[in-house]
Amino acid sequence: MTIVVAVLQAILLVALAPLFSGITRKIRAKMHSRKGTGILQDYYDLAKLMRRSEVREGGSGLVSRLMPPIFLGCFILIAAGLPIVMLACPIPILGDMITILYLMALPRFMFALASIDSASSYTAIGGIRELLVGVLIEPSLILVLFVMAIAVGSTDVGFMSAAVANLQATPLVAVVVAGVAFAMACYIEMGKLPFDMAEAEQEIQEGPLAAYSGPSLAMLKLGVSLKQLVVASLLVCIFLPFGSASSLAPLDIFIGFVVYVAKVLAVFLIASVIENSVMRVRYKILDRYTWFVMGIASLSLVFLVIGI
Amino acid sequence: MLGYSLVNALGACLIITSMTVVLAKTVRASACLYSLQSLVLVAILASLGFVTGSGELFTWSATAFVTKVVLVPAILLFTLKKIDNNVNTDLTPKINPMKAVALVAVEVFICFVAVSGIDLPTAVEAKPALAVSLAHFFIGLTCIVIQRSIFKQIFGYCLMENGSHVALALLAPQAPELVEIGVATDAIFAVIILSVLVWRMAHYAHTLDADDLCELKG
Repeated sequence: MTIVVAVLQAILLVALAPLFSGITRKIRAKMHSRKGTGILQDYYDLAKLMRRSEVREGGSGLVSRLMPPIFLGCFILIAAGLPIVMLACPIPILGDMITILYLMALPRFMFALASIDSASSYTAIGGIRELLVGVLIEPSLILVLFVMAIAVGSTDVGFMSAAVANLQATPLVAVVVAGVAFAMACYIEMGKLPFDMAEAEQEIQEGPLAAYSGPSLAMLKLGVSLKQLVVASLLVCIFLPFGSASSLAPLDIFIGFVVYVAKVLAVFLIASVIENSVMRVRYKILDRYTWFVMGIASLSLVFLVIGI
Repeated sequence: MLGYSLVNALGACLIITSMTVVLAKTVRASACLYSLQSLVLVAILASLGFVTGSGELFTWSATAFVTKVVLVPAILLFTLKKIDNNVNTDLTPKINPMKAVALVAVEVFICFVAVSGIDLPTAVEAKPALAVSLAHFFIGLTCIVIQRSIFKQIFGYCLMENGSHVALALLAPQAPELVEIGVATDAIFAVIILSVLVWRMAHYAHTLDADDLCELKG
């Protein structure tokens, strides 16, 4: 039964990802006083790209060809394992925090590898930027999840979710501070301004995307919007699991799903408002922001150690 | 047991608010956040009063409210108003203030290690809070070291002062009111004297930058 939930939620997240990205584009347009495209525009883009034939750069090899399916596949796997509608992981082996961290690192690694594999020089710069963001933000993510694992006594994200929902995650202040740090880290992971612009494939920042076309580009675009949704879901699952289903009863699952969509929508709304009120920073001063996140994450660790 | 965990949680809030005092960009924001921090301090004193059943702590919290939540920020804001059109009060700190957060975390940890060696009957339950109060001394020192503006350095002193206040309340909850009056007047008069100094320096030197003021000697 839980496997059915896992498959369903993975399909659902993939289906919803372009919608959420469309909504954020609409919000941006509204904040810029533009009319903007419809919220379904991303679906049309994907459908169009799927019909196009694939064009490859001369000299690019196997890595470039494998990157789009691996990128998308990893996030679909994470989506299947997260305790999204229930307070437990539908597939426990995928809900382990170490598995999740590695499943998030693998696409980034492949992304960077593909950027070197491509013949264009711009893509490598974009790949470096992507890696830099990863290097700066992943330690904070790992630290926060480590704090949660000790506070709850398990590396399973489902356990963390259940413990936070039942207010059993102690010490309380450490968990709250960890939640704040995690929210900031997730915001950066989502690829939002001032750090990144997830949908800007033509610019230097999302380098390798410039080298793709047709179905591969569609897969990557879907992957990028799914990544945003998965990261937002991770935050919602671990630190805001209130309202999720505690049993497998259909009504509970349905309520859990509705609450989940509302929470993720709220996260996306807040993220879009922040994103559109700041400007992009040069990658050399990215560390100023990430140091802050790192500081708060280490503060939560210290609070955990001293037990408040 | 719940009482002491409340005290410890409020101690954590004290750390967070003092960090915001250090990180705030303007003196005005720092003063308001300092007022907020003192409010947390008052809450700690009151909750300690509940936990230990000591009547003195309630009078302490009342006097702390008057002196630290109202008077000290008011004096600072008044000074700011006096000198604001003369000089730039919001100088950037010497190091990236974001790194100061990690520094504070390290300081709190070191203080906890130091405190865990102390075996006092009054401090068994509230060791985290004791570590927090000790850490405030170092947070205040950090504020003084990293800030270039001498006005902001006053906040470093105030943070140290708050830390000693909490430590006193934790270790000697039954101490007479006289001791508390000593701590409170100390804070008020020190802040008045420092404010006058800042105002005079701003008046004569037209700068609040500690680096520039070094050149005045001789």
